[in-house]
Amino acid sequence: MRTVFSQYAWLAPLFPLAAFVVLTELNRSLKRTGAFIAIVASLASLALSLLIAFERIGTGAEDYSGGFAWLTIGSVTLSAGFEVTNLTALMLVIVSLVAFLVNLYSLGYMRDDERKSVFYAYLSLFACSMLGLVLADNLLLLYIGWELVGVCSFLLIGFWFHKPEARAAAKKAFIVTRVGDLGLLIAILLLFRYMPGHALDFVSLHNVFDSQAGVISTSITTAIALLLFLGAVGKSGQFPLHVWLPDAMEGPTPVSALIHAATMVAAGVFLVARTYDIFEASAVALDTVAYIGAFTALLAATAALKQNDIKRVLAYSTVSQLGYMMLALGSGSWTAAVFHLFTHAFFKALLFLGAGNVIHALHTQDLRQMGGLGRRMKTTAWTFGAGVLALSGVPPLAGFWSKDAVLAAAFERHPLLFAAGIVTACFTALYMARLFILAFWGRPRGDAALAARAKEAPAVMTAPLLVLAALSVAAGFVQTPFGSWLGAWLSGEAIPEQAESVPVMAASAAAGLLGLYLGWLLYGKGAPKGGGAGQTRPWPWLVRLIEREYYLNEAYGYLFVKPLQGLGRALRLFDGAVVGGAGRLAAGAVQALGRLNSRLLSGQLQTYGLAAVIAAVVLMLAIAGRRF
Amino acid sequence: MIVFHTLTWSDAWYLAPELALVGFALALAVLDLMLPDRVNRDWIGWGTLLGLAVAALFVSWHICDLRRSELAGEPAVRDLLYGSYLIDDFGNLLKLAFLGATALIVLASLGTIRKDEIPIKGEFYYLVLPAVTGAMMMASSGDLITLFVGLELLGVSSYALVGARKRSGLAGEAAFKYVVTGGTASAFILYGMSFLYGVTGSTGLAGISRGLEQAVADYRALVYVAFFLMIVGFALKLALAPFHAWAPDVYEGAPTPVTSFLAVVAKGAAFAMLYRIFVRTVFLADAEAAALREDVSLALAALAAAAIAVGTAGALRQRNAKRLLALSGVANAGILLVPLALDTTILHASFFPEFLYYLLAYAFMNVGAFAVLTVVSRASGKEELSAFAGLYHRAPWTAGAMTVLLCSLAGLPVTGGFFGKLFILFGTVQTKAYWLGAFMLAATAVSYYVYFKIIRQMYMRAGAEEPAVRVPVPAGIVIWLCAAATLALGVLPRPVLDWIDGLFSIGADMLTG
Repeated sequence: MRTVFSQYAWLAPLFPLAAFVVLTELNRSLKRTGAFIAIVASLASLALSLLIAFERIGTGAEDYSGGFAWLTIGSVTLSAGFEVTNLTALMLVIVSLVAFLVNLYSLGYMRDDERKSVFYAYLSLFACSMLGLVLADNLLLLYIGWELVGVCSFLLIGFWFHKPEARAAAKKAFIVTRVGDLGLLIAILLLFRYMPGHALDFVSLHNVFDSQAGVISTSITTAIALLLFLGAVGKSGQFPLHVWLPDAMEGPTPVSALIHAATMVAAGVFLVARTYDIFEASAVALDTVAYIGAFTALLAATAALKQNDIKRVLAYSTVSQLGYMMLALGSGSWTAAVFHLFTHAFFKALLFLGAGNVIHALHTQDLRQMGGLGRRMKTTAWTFGAGVLALSGVPPLAGFWSKDAVLAAAFERHPLLFAAGIVTACFTALYMARLFILAFWGRPRGDAALAARAKEAPAVMTAPLLVLAALSVAAGFVQTPFGSWLGAWLSGEAIPEQAESVPVMAASAAAGLLGLYLGWLLYGKGAPKGGGAGQTRPWPWLVRLIEREYYLNEAYGYLFVKPLQGLGRALRLFDGAVVGGAGRLAAGAVQALGRLNSRLLSGQLQTYGLAAVIAAVVLMLAIAGRRF
Repeated sequence: MIVFHTLTWSDAWYLAPELALVGFALALAVLDLMLPDRVNRDWIGWGTLLGLAVAALFVSWHICDLRRSELAGEPAVRDLLYGSYLIDDFGNLLKLAFLGATALIVLASLGTIRKDEIPIKGEFYYLVLPAVTGAMMMASSGDLITLFVGLELLGVSSYALVGARKRSGLAGEAAFKYVVTGGTASAFILYGMSFLYGVTGSTGLAGISRGLEQAVADYRALVYVAFFLMIVGFALKLALAPFHAWAPDVYEGAPTPVTSFLAVVAKGAAFAMLYRIFVRTVFLADAEAAALREDVSLALAALAAAAIAVGTAGALRQRNAKRLLALSGVANAGILLVPLALDTTILHASFFPEFLYYLLAYAFMNVGAFAVLTVVSRASGKEELSAFAGLYHRAPWTAGAMTVLLCSLAGLPVTGGFFGKLFILFGTVQTKAYWLGAFMLAATAVSYYVYFKIIRQMYMRAGAEEPAVRVPVPAGIVIWLCAAATLALGVLPRPVLDWIDGLFSIGADMLTG
């Protein structure tokens, strides 16, 4: 089937780019209209993306690609172009939808910021780069988008640069992700070297790695796949490069929702999915992806339990969910990974924006200062609750179906991976229950005056929440074990019904519900209440339950938390000693070279001359001297 | 029997660009002497620009002329005086680059140079002309003697330019250091040249090329001494590590436009001369001399790697913007050397487009960055990095342009610097010089940190209490031209590459005669 709108897909990144140019040019003169320009541009991208996606629904939509020969080096011609496949169409919708909602939301959240138009300019540039990354038809263009989103992320994390933490976080994010980017660049260079005809476009990659096995040797394929994965590890906050993502929460909350939850951090998953043929050609690479993903999911979920900053809880949760996606990729089901990416984008953006409302009302991010907001902020509380249930994997919300797809894939791959996934699911529900209860239930624990004045956010900030909440509830039905429409649409292959995965489904649902129940016991029911000492207890079995809660608490503590915390500590040591050590060694070597250089640059011309003569003699002896 | 060729009037046409520059230099010198003091010396600057434009016009004419003979199937080279002066595409392209860069530098300095700082404002402008003439001779000569004369003409003119801030102690120190180092470098090069002449019996590059194999067979040690002395001399001129120590001091002391000239034109000219000599002689060497070629390649590769490493690591520690850019220039000189240092036994004919592309990108980003630095340091009276604090709020347009230029220096897409480095990286991959490629990559990663120090200053520091930045119109034009060209090189690298490829072919342009 021929497609009409796909031909104009290249326009999608250009709308926000135009907004960016206008906003930067008229920085000073646009106080209010600036935001509207950005919103209109993102709406235009969204409309186009939806048209493209709806047109492709149904079977047999051809992939459309267009472009032009970009540069010629010797006999090699690189093209610049875009490609619309069902995967890129889906990503277009996710990115432009969340971008539009976040733009809208920021109208309220950033209302009093005097650099609002700068903020919108950065957001527009980000949307342009991200859409460009998604549409790129070859790795070099993708890399360009990849770097540009990194720069935008840097600028936006450090947006409130008067805070030293924000500056430090921006720097950290940039430098840490660069380690991954370097891997990606080396992978591109290796592909350039080994691909027939130096082709870097995704169609050729698919052809070579899918059907022409043996053109590139297995060891090289593995090296390329692992280097690509290193890029994904940096961008998607996987162990051991996950350290930048929690710190990145210093940026404004809408930015966290857009960049550090829904879109940019998912680019790593997208990269692996886009080059999946390379990974399929190397079992080692797939295993690495699966185990790193599972491990990251578990590690980040335990870390989320201990955070008291509402945004850091969500950040660790993002790391953990990205680990899930990697787990699915490594387990051989890229459609499950993309499905989870799709649902996660909605409920995690929802949670961040909801957290933004709370922060907006209370001016604190500390969970210990919150409480009792449910009564004062009804819309936020209800929508946030929907997000919590979706993330916890409660059926039949979106998160349940996608998590189930991931777990089913892991189950087929290896029991260990499945176990890690189930435990993570339980922890996920637990920390989300804790978060929700601490923020919205009980009595206000912080500044009483502020809490009393806390009121619901304006409509412009709640409307995006409602949209996202609806999607978080309903978006999962596009793929269930009983009809995997999304998977079939994405891969172009019919996928049989997986009714045999009912036990997996049951386990996944049970893990989520158990986590929520534990959370309720620990932080809702059993939490010490002021003035509650003389309460009568109507049902004795409930009393026992409460007593057992402490038992459970300790058991849980001994069974899970302590060992995992120990593991976490050991890993931190590993992180500090090995990863950090290697980093320090490299940094130290560079610094030492720098110091040596400063020593040489003493200002004494005699020293310069002496150094030159010594260097000349060394050069001659070392290189020419070998011949005599 | 030696036949002496004399210059005829018809030959003057081929020398028209150089002659035009000399003519303008003389006329402006006389004009400067005769004009009364109260006349603004900016007029001399405009005259200098006119001279550069006329010369560029002549060069373009030559390019078209050569193109016509190429299409007609005739050799696309004109040589004067037994091949000691060559009019070919290699020379013409580089001449255009030098003239363009110099014109941008002169334009940027109009309105930013203060009389109280540089009392010899008239000289300051027209001394640029003989310096460019020297650079053009270095790009266009096929004989050791003419090459050396060009080198010295460029050198002597720039010694005077470095000391133009006569009342500043720093400038005097810089000029002195530059004279001594430049002299040392020339001595090394000349000494090496004399050995080369001694063993091959010719000063013409074609003659040397013919005699080299026999020379290697007869006097192997002396040939090695000749080439390694020249390498050391060029390493000093190009400020390759560890011969770079003079560069930060000289760059810091010189007036900023002169610094920019040294970083772009003087460095580019030294590269032109290096390419001329080495490609024409040692890289053609076969059989007996193959080992020599490998050793020279290896020495150049080692120097390139050292320059990249030391330049980048050194820049990390700098707080002075000019010294930082000087060390970044050291690293970039290393990168520019890479195409020449690659193993030429594997077919790697694209080395010149790679080199010229990055040279163009390097010229734009440096001229632009130095122009911004001139403007910024004039406003805040210092050349430290902190002079950039809050520039985004004080002059958003300039800050935007500077961001583009810095991204290019750091090698981020979509800029000329990214593609320049990428092409050179592709070259290293094609010739399997992976270690050199790895060096470049690692240094590039570190260099992000260096350049983002400035970006952080511009965007993430409050500069409210700093004075507003006034950008003179000519400087503003130059800054934006450079930023736009940097972006254009990044978005559409193809036209430039096609143009270079269309004009340049290694067989016709570097190996005839």
